[in-house]
Amino acid sequence: MIFLFIALPLVVAGILPLLGKLSKRVLPDALANAVLLFLLVESVLLGKQLAATGPFVRQFSWLGEPVNLRLALDGFSLLMLIVVSLVGLCVGIFSIDYMEHYGSKANYWALFLIMVAGMNGLVLSTDLFNVYLFLEVAAVSSYALVAFGLEHDELEAAFKYLMLSVVASAFILIAIAVIFGVTGSLSFPAVARGLQDLDTKYVVGFCAALFIMGFGLKAALMPFHAWLPDAHPSAPAPISAMLSGLLIKVSGVYALTRIFFNIFGLTPALSTVLMYLATLSMVAAAFLALGQKDIKRMLAYSSISQVGYIVLGLALGTPLGIAGGLFHLINHALAKGLLFLNSGSIQRSTGTRNLDEMGGLAKRMPVTAATNLVGSLSIAGVPPLNGFWSKLIIIIALVQAGHMGFAVVAVLASVLTLWYYLLIQRKAFFGKLNERWKDVKEAPFWMLAANVILALLCIGIGIFFSLTITTWVRPAADALSQGVRLAFGSWGM
Amino acid sequence: MVLQILLLVGLVLFSVLAILVKDLLKAAISLAVASLLLGIIFFRMNAPYAGVFEISVVAGLITVLFMLTIALTKGGDAVESKAASFAFPAFFVVFIVIDAIIMKKLIQKVPALPGPEEAGTFGQVLWNARTLDLVGQIAVIFAGVFAVLALFRKGDNKDE
Amino acid sequence: MNSTWFLYMFFTAVLLFTGIYCLLTMRNLIKLFIGIGVIGKAVSLALIATGLAKKNVLAAQSLVITYIVVEVSMVAVALALIINIYRKTKSLDIRQLAKLKG
Repeated sequence: MIFLFIALPLVVAGILPLLGKLSKRVLPDALANAVLLFLLVESVLLGKQLAATGPFVRQFSWLGEPVNLRLALDGFSLLMLIVVSLVGLCVGIFSIDYMEHYGSKANYWALFLIMVAGMNGLVLSTDLFNVYLFLEVAAVSSYALVAFGLEHDELEAAFKYLMLSVVASAFILIAIAVIFGVTGSLSFPAVARGLQDLDTKYVVGFCAALFIMGFGLKAALMPFHAWLPDAHPSAPAPISAMLSGLLIKVSGVYALTRIFFNIFGLTPALSTVLMYLATLSMVAAAFLALGQKDIKRMLAYSSISQVGYIVLGLALGTPLGIAGGLFHLINHALAKGLLFLNSGSIQRSTGTRNLDEMGGLAKRMPVTAATNLVGSLSIAGVPPLNGFWSKLIIIIALVQAGHMGFAVVAVLASVLTLWYYLLIQRKAFFGKLNERWKDVKEAPFWMLAANVILALLCIGIGIFFSLTITTWVRPAADALSQGVRLAFGSWGM
Repeated sequence: MVLQILLLVGLVLFSVLAILVKDLLKAAISLAVASLLLGIIFFRMNAPYAGVFEISVVAGLITVLFMLTIALTKGGDAVESKAASFAFPAFFVVFIVIDAIIMKKLIQKVPALPGPEEAGTFGQVLWNARTLDLVGQIAVIFAGVFAVLALFRKGDNKDE
Repeated sequence: MNSTWFLYMFFTAVLLFTGIYCLLTMRNLIKLFIGIGVIGKAVSLALIATGLAKKNVLAAQSLVITYIVVEVSMVAVALALIINIYRKTKSLDIRQLAKLKG
């Protein structure tokens, strides 16, 4: 029942405002989180089924007639489903307390669930136009969620985000139109077959350029990143976590990777272009993060940098590189989600996001400080946390493929990352307790619970990394490494 | 064919007008006329459903939304930099020349497979062949509705 | 691909250029929205032109209709944002909004 991944959040989102009239807080909170929990359990169960049967396509029927509702599940899609459900659930738990002051919680949950439904739909679709459509579903709900607090900063950031997103969508659609023109179809198998049959180097190159501009903007790959450093800090903390941890990966990295690997086939030219863009992101964003005073802005630049790592690993194209990139995707989603939720806790308790104003919070907010340390070390790549293993795999893959220059740059960027995260730790948590914060309280229960769950996951995946890789990452990497054959094989009509 | 080209030129003309004109109301009307022309172009391309949708939704609904916004934000005059408006014709002409050259060179260079012939009626295509699109449309309509509800809610708890 | 397709794509490119130029240079928020409307027309034209070239206008029409629905939703959200921005800052100039540096 993989259609449930799209249908269930949508249906619940539809009835939530009605329920919100009955019970302002408890019922919407409980219902939304129940949906997210159900999706998580369902995705894990699907994992077992996938391991048994291999990638499959489901065709659904409506009232007896078969309709063209085809959803495909392979390792890569499953990985994204699990990550979306997991981070979504933790962010949902966090939002129970955090969104108290914003009002209109039922609306918030409705938009949140629509965003999740959009992301799930994108991951499960087998048709280029459906990818675009669900991308827009998630995007439209994210515009409203970024602006949810209705403060000046949030509105401005949401508006800029919207404008840049529209240009990206236009590029993506023009590329889709050209592909439709060349191959006469929009579904993945037909397009892959069509592109193989014709001599289409230039057309593919043109469409690839448009896709890189469009999806690259969604993934905040440099130089298309300009919207992210404004949008992610201004949004409410749980939404920042969803955007940084999930949306840029699902609508940017997933879509790009799926199209380039399984439909176009990764050529050396594409690989090189992506690797250079990824390295630019990795390094430039790390430098830009160093100068930031706002904690969420620093985290936003760090997201751009880490997406650079992910794309670098994926663009390398070797099985090890793909595995490293995918593993880093999981780890970054968990760790960056954790860090943004933490910044929300800090903002809720102290009212500021400015690092210079904080100090010594560890004494008053020990749990937040501890989870923040776990998240920071994870992204910085300190063993034995999960980030260390994924970065190591990417660097080894680069060395094995002979790209020594890239490997050195990756290591240096890692050092930079460690530096600015330690800066956060020192400025915000350790050191002398700033007098202003002597009465600050620890964050409320649900916020702490979400942070602790994510931190435990970071530690757990770090310790059990080989188990995680063989169960979740390997099938996904295999699906991608098969390249265009996947489109002919299990998705074939 | 000649009429089609005239309509296309008209479309571009009104779009350019919509961008360069200072008065926002005139700009919105210009955009609506451009949508009307596009709808007619669609009709002549044998795409009546798209034409109807374009005229009724884009030239109708979206224009109404624009006018609503213009009315609600009275006092926001369009303060534009003169330089941008004057520079536009130059860039425009340059772009058209480059565009025409590229398009001419590309003719016959783009290979194409014959696609599946269209089958069935429009209703069948929309409901049977592209069903997931309908799910997506419902989702995006929900998203829009809830977004507007969320962005216009009564501020009862404002303490930040 | 026959030359009619290229004719339509020529106009699509011109409209895209116009729309992006508007987004780059105009300062009034509502004007920026007109730019987005122009981009929307470019995309619809491209889709239908491709459908015409493939002799499958029905499929292209359903794509365009879906795209128009998405565009309406997006315009609704955008205009809601604009109205809220106006209420907060009493101005529609995007330079006034440049508090965040990006």
